[in-house]
Amino acid sequence: MKLNIAIYWGAACGGCDVAILDTHEKLLEIADVVDIHLWPIAMDFKYADVRALADGYLDATLFSGAVRNSENEEIAKLLRKKSKAMIALGACAHTGGVPGLANMYTRGEILDRVYLRSESTNNPEGTLPAEEFMVDAGELQLPRFYNTVKTLDQVVDVDYYIPGCPPASLQIYSALGLLADDMLPKKGSVIGAGDRALCDECARKKSEKTITKIYRTHEKLPDPETCFLEQGFICLGPATRSGCGSRCIKSWTPCRGCYGPLDGVQDQGIKMLGALASVLEPKDEKGINAILDTVVDPLRTVSRFSLASSMLRRKKV
Amino acid sequence: MKRIAIDPITRLEGHGKITIFLNEEGTVENAYLQIPELRGFEKFVEGLPVEEIPRVVTRICGV
Repeated sequence: MKLNIAIYWGAACGGCDVAILDTHEKLLEIADVVDIHLWPIAMDFKYADVRALADGYLDATLFSGAVRNSENEEIAKLLRKKSKAMIALGACAHTGGVPGLANMYTRGEILDRVYLRSESTNNPEGTLPAEEFMVDAGELQLPRFYNTVKTLDQVVDVDYYIPGCPPASLQIYSALGLLADDMLPKKGSVIGAGDRALCDECARKKSEKTITKIYRTHEKLPDPETCFLEQGFICLGPATRSGCGSRCIKSWTPCRGCYGPLDGVQDQGIKMLGALASVLEPKDEKGINAILDTVVDPLRTVSRFSLASSMLRRKKV
Repeated sequence: MKRIAIDPITRLEGHGKITIFLNEEGTVENAYLQIPELRGFEKFVEGLPVEEIPRVVTRICGV
């Protein structure tokens, strides 16, 4: 018997869906074992079709994207009710991802910038999106744009997490294999990823060298074989779960942490700050701070994909 | 007036819904396309180091 699944996106870019499609010919194997009941990017099912399913009918939902507005939350809750397993797919559903960076601002600041001050917008009457809008024929509705971007597990119970921005296609394939073979680990587990730090599988050479200066990537050419961090480039490898295949590192680009924290780490950004302080040459607070003060944009560097799930979570309002 | 909702519209990147109003003769009186999503990249890339912009704005659309 085939598994019944739904694939949905909240505040997302569609990259997780494309990562599923990027399993290429293995997609045919997936199609052999699952029946899909919702997948907006690829198939024409409506919300009404999902509402018509019996509760618990779906074996699993793969939910990508953060929870940014009331529609995202409503559909997350609907799919939770219809699904035996809720799986957070990708960094946005897992830790907030790039859309979570909006938590540095308020709802009002974002609406103001986008609709009133954007260079490409002509809006002399200052119209903002309204949740209810009357037209001659009747009322139109839009979802509520929240003040705070949430992770999936901040609004519904989540059974498993497949990390990454996007998750590596073969990792999605292997995670679906666990589902198909009824081999899923204990609830709450991260699946389709490693259980070590990215540094542990990085091919670059490490030598316990300490650093005296932080470099931005345009300031010097990195040595192709040496650890980025030991060259002074901030790389989130020490604070990030393995499983991506080091794809950024292999493209000469330091890690920004999309695979999220390791088990037992509550805040990936704070973990990274600790790792960074430990490779600095100075060991006194003043010396450490003098170097850390040169990091241009620390929050969006160490919490690039995890601000919405961090201890800071959002700007105070 | 009869209302037809197409929600969500599918096989594209992003969220959208279409509401169609039919008059008494059953023909289309008016139709509205709504985009219910916003993330706010315009705001949260402000102040980001320029060399980091390419790996953030690629998350606007991954399709």
